Amino acid sequence: MNTLTTSKDQITPVQSANKRDTRKINWWRIVGYVTLLIFGILYLGPLLMLVSTSLKTLPEFFKSATGLPTSLNLNNFVDAWEQANFARLLINSVIYTAVSTTLYIITAIFVAFPIARGLVRGHKLIFTLFVIALFLPPALIPQFQLILRLGLYNNPVGYILFFLINPIGIIILVGYLRTLPKELDESAAMDGCSYFRFVWQIVIPLARPAIATVVVLHAIGIWNELILPTIYLTSKEYYPVTRGLIVFQGVYGSNWPTLAAAVLILTLPMLILFLFLQRYIISGLTAGAVKG
Amino acid sequence: MNQYLFGRGRARWLPFLLLIPGLLAYIIIALGPSIATSVFSLTDATGVPNIPVNWIGLENYNEFLFRGLASRDNLDALTRTLIFMIAVTTIQFTLGLVVALLLNQGLKGTRFFRTLFFMPVILGVAIQGLIWSLFLYPQGGPMANFLGLFGVQSEFLGGQPNEAFFWVIFVQIWANMGITMVIFLAGLQTVPAELYEVAQIDGANGWQRFRNVTWPLITPVVNTNLLLNIIGSLQAWQLFLVLTGYKAGTQVLGYLVFAEGFGQTTGSVSSSFRQGYAAAASMVLFALVLLIGLTAQYLLNRREQRLGY
Repeated sequence: MNTLTTSKDQITPVQSANKRDTRKINWWRIVGYVTLLIFGILYLGPLLMLVSTSLKTLPEFFKSATGLPTSLNLNNFVDAWEQANFARLLINSVIYTAVSTTLYIITAIFVAFPIARGLVRGHKLIFTLFVIALFLPPALIPQFQLILRLGLYNNPVGYILFFLINPIGIIILVGYLRTLPKELDESAAMDGCSYFRFVWQIVIPLARPAIATVVVLHAIGIWNELILPTIYLTSKEYYPVTRGLIVFQGVYGSNWPTLAAAVLILTLPMLILFLFLQRYIISGLTAGAVKG
Repeated sequence: MNQYLFGRGRARWLPFLLLIPGLLAYIIIALGPSIATSVFSLTDATGVPNIPVNWIGLENYNEFLFRGLASRDNLDALTRTLIFMIAVTTIQFTLGLVVALLLNQGLKGTRFFRTLFFMPVILGVAIQGLIWSLFLYPQGGPMANFLGLFGVQSEFLGGQPNEAFFWVIFVQIWANMGITMVIFLAGLQTVPAELYEVAQIDGANGWQRFRNVTWPLITPVVNTNLLLNIIGSLQAWQLFLVLTGYKAGTQVLGYLVFAEGFGQTTGSVSSSFRQGYAAAASMVLFALVLLIGLTAQYLLNRREQRLGY
């Protein structure tokens, strides 16, 4: 394992590094860089291929799938945009994501705070209910029967219902809220602050880091959801982008330049957003992992 | 229960009243249905409302596991789910660890590579699948050309079942390695640098330092990653939907549940969908997840205790 040996040379204290050591360090560094580069190609390559394909004409693509485009041809983007009704898809996805994330986070805080503080009877049991969610069987079938009987099949309201819950978000919030000092509650109560106002105006601003993480994780989950819209939304006008893309692939499956342009249009906003929100996502995913 | 500071009498109920919406939504939409899966697995429920539903006892399980050719396919799907889990867990765990160790060395461009490797997680399964369908384009696509250099030819996702299955595993690992990596990185950052210096002075070589310092000290993230990978890969099937569709010889249990309950590629309401049967299939998957997940959890806990966590 080259990589492991790399660590050995890295940590060599500077004082003891003679000329021979320095050369050796560089050599292992190169092995490290080469490994990273190979992985880099595997991760960047598919994206570059997408960009390259989206700029080609169809005959060009059939002639050489891998070759670079000969001219800057943006027709594919125009075609994809017009044919797939992307404006509709994007608006739908934004509505689903914004509405359900807002409703979720507000209800989640009012669930998490009393659990973190032990303000309601049975708070331990309630917390356990959320924790066991991670081990329970998939609920697809009964959920479907429920939505069908409620008459919410192929209905955006029924679809949004599924995103009003996220047990992992509750667990992250409870963990964070427990770290807020109790003196806050006392001094706020002393000033005659009501429970609602206390949570709304003091707890929420203080818990902003955890709230941001949960909001971002939850929103990404909704935006990327593919199975639920496949099951519950059959009308085109309700499709979110994921479902729209897959249906688009079904229709334009062999026309890769147009399909690539379509994928790219929907990938770019996510990529840009990701660059800004990276740290919230990563802190959410690693929360609790370090302590076990 | 702690002393309540925000008023008396009726005000005392406020935290509880405000907690109700979130808790109720969770019970109605997630917890209840999850438990009800076991009830549905004992019925002949279909995908349409207003058709009488009958109790048929363990008939669904009997059929799923023991009856005819279909049951043989089901058991194949079960075996395949296990193969998928083992392949994805071992490779994703190892690669995630190797990449995290590399990115923990203070090499140049570390941040760029970390962002790059994590990117697929954000793109989601639809875009991951489409990007790789293109990259694995059999007629002169990049991967086909690359393998061609070694005289290897592949039909990739459209090829033989085993071939398609292999490439789905490949994409699954590509897509999720970033999660494993960032969790390892978080763990590696908790290892105090002085310990390496001490080991260095004691004359430990690179492997010994990894084995005796790094590895035991990152036990919590090792366990987290193993459990997440095992449970995640047992339940994963969405990439199959995008990459191969419901292709004979590639089905895993998760996809089988979806196909039996809702149709193979698109959802619709139809009496031909056997939701009772699908519920039984998802209980089989649940049993698998529980059995393997709890065993892994038990073994990992024992190891943690031995190491003094």
